[in-house]
Amino acid sequence: MAVRFDQDRLGRLRDTVAVVGVGETDYGADYRGAGGKAMGKGEARVDHYTLASRALKRALDDAGLTKDDIDGLCTGPTLSSERACELWGMNPGWSGSGDAAQCIIEATMAINAGLCTTVALVYGNAQRSMNTAYGGARVTGGGITSYFYYAPWGLTSQGALYALFFQRHKLLYGTTEEQLGAIAVAFRKHACMNPNAVMQKPLTIEDYMNAPYVAEPLRLFDYCLINDGGVAIIVRRADMAKDLKHKPVMVSAIGWSEENVDATQLRPRLKDFYHTAHHGVAAQVYPMAGLTPKDVDVFATYDSFSVHLLASLEGFGFCKEGEGGPFVQDGRIEIGGELPCNTSGGMLSESYMQSWNHQPELVRQLRGGLGQRQVKGAEVAQYVHDVAGKCKSIIYTRQ
Amino acid sequence: MATARPIRSMDPYAEQFWTYTLKKELRLQKCSDCGKFRWPPGPTCDKCLSEEAEWAPVSGRGKVLSWTTFRRKYFDEYPAPHTTIVLELDEGPLFVSYPVDVAVEDLRESMVLSLRWTDGQDKFGEYNLPVFGPPSA
Ligand SMILES: [Zn+2]
Repeated sequence: MAVRFDQDRLGRLRDTVAVVGVGETDYGADYRGAGGKAMGKGEARVDHYTLASRALKRALDDAGLTKDDIDGLCTGPTLSSERACELWGMNPGWSGSGDAAQCIIEATMAINAGLCTTVALVYGNAQRSMNTAYGGARVTGGGITSYFYYAPWGLTSQGALYALFFQRHKLLYGTTEEQLGAIAVAFRKHACMNPNAVMQKPLTIEDYMNAPYVAEPLRLFDYCLINDGGVAIIVRRADMAKDLKHKPVMVSAIGWSEENVDATQLRPRLKDFYHTAHHGVAAQVYPMAGLTPKDVDVFATYDSFSVHLLASLEGFGFCKEGEGGPFVQDGRIEIGGELPCNTSGGMLSESYMQSWNHQPELVRQLRGGLGQRQVKGAEVAQYVHDVAGKCKSIIYTRQ
Repeated sequence: MATARPIRSMDPYAEQFWTYTLKKELRLQKCSDCGKFRWPPGPTCDKCLSEEAEWAPVSGRGKVLSWTTFRRKYFDEYPAPHTTIVLELDEGPLFVSYPVDVAVEDLRESMVLSLRWTDGQDKFGEYNLPVFGPPSA
C-alpha cells in the first residue's frame, strides 16, 4: 500500500510539545491494600477516580503547575471526562480519551492545532479491587471481539490469543520458552530496582520454567499483573515548558498505523505478528525524530504479555524477523545491556496500568538520577504500543 | 440433551450460521460480487463493501496455524486442560475450533485437518459445533 502519511507535516510537530510532569500512585501499597486479594464487585475500597485524582495531584506537583494551568484533558478508558472534570473543577478547552500513546498523540495534535496549551493525561483503574476479568464467561462486552466470539469452542482470554501468537512464533522460528522467559526475568530484575513496583521478589529462569502454564505455551510470569493504580502526565507547548521544576522532555516523534482486516480471525496476529503495522509506524517515527533504532537508549513496549516485546523488537528493526528469541537473551534487554527494555518492570512486574506506567518511566530515565535503575547517558527513549493491531509509538528525547 | 457450552455471540448473521449447523453444514458468507469468503458473519464484504452475499458451503479442510492448551479453567463447560486450534480454511478464512481424535503432541504446523461435528446448546437453543480432526481414510 502506498505511504499515506505526510512526513513534512508530521516533521513539523517534532519537539513542539514537552512532558513537564509525571505522577503515579503507590502501586505496591495499592496492591497490598486488600491483603493482595481481589474483592467482589461493589466492594471496592477505591475507585478509578480516586486513583486518577491522586496521580493527577502528584503530576501537577511534579510539574510545578496547578489545575488552573490545565486547559486540555485526556482520560483513560475507565474515566468519563465529564465526571473527571466535575471532580477536579476543570473546564478544559479540549478533551480526549484513549490509551496512553493515543492520548500523547492527540494532545500533541490539539496543542499544535491551537486548541489548548497544557494537557493533563490521566488514568486510574481499580481493576483488582473491582475483580475485573480478562477471560472466560465474566468478560464484559461480548459481541464480535476476537476473544469472546469463540466462546462456544472454549476460547476466550487475551492470554490465549498471545499463547496462539507465541506458539506460531515457535513453529515458524524455533523460538524457545526459555527465550521468552528471559523477558519476564529481565523485567522482574528491573522491578526489583524500582521501589514503586508491585513485584519485589527476584525471579530466575528456573522459577519461570517451574511456574505453571496458564494457556500453554504461556506461563504465569508471561502474564501482566492485575492491580489498582493511577498515572498522570502533563504535556505542554514546548515554548511554555521552560523554567518549570524539571527540564522538559520532548515528544520528538509520534506514529500511528493500524492492521484491522480479518482481525477477528486473528490473521494480523498469526500471519503477520503485527509487523505491517510496526513497519508503518517505524517509517513515521524514525525519520520524524531524525533517528534510527540504533539511537534508542531505552525502550518500552506494551507488555500485557511478554510476547509483545518479541514482536515489537522485530517489527521496529532492532533485530530481524524471527530473531527476537535470541535477541532478548544474555542480558541484552536488561539495564546495562545493549537495549534496556521496560526498565520500570513493565506491566509484568511494576504495574498493569495499560501502558500509562511506561510513560513516566521513560521520562524519568531521560531526566536522569534514577540510581541503580538509571540507563547511563539516556538521551532517546521509545515507547511502542501494538495492542489489537493498533500500533502507535512515541519517541521522547532529552535536550 | 446436547452438551452445554459457553454462550454464543448472537445476531441475525450468527443465527443464520448456526441454523446451518443443525443440518451439519459448514457454510460461510461468500460475497456475491467479488467472491470473498468472510468469517465471522456480518453485513458487508470487507473487500468490496457489497451487502450481497450467499451462504456457501466450504470444503471443511484446513491447515493448522497454531494452538493453545488452557491449563487454567475459564469456563465450567471446558475443564482444563482444553486445547483450541486455529486453522486456515482452503477458502481463505482462519477458523478457531478445537481438535478431536488427535493428541496435542501430534499437532504440527500446516497439518491438514477436516471437519467433524459435535453437539452443543446454550440459551439460544441447540446447534452442532464444527470441530476438526484428521481426515478420515
Ligand atoms: Zn466483495
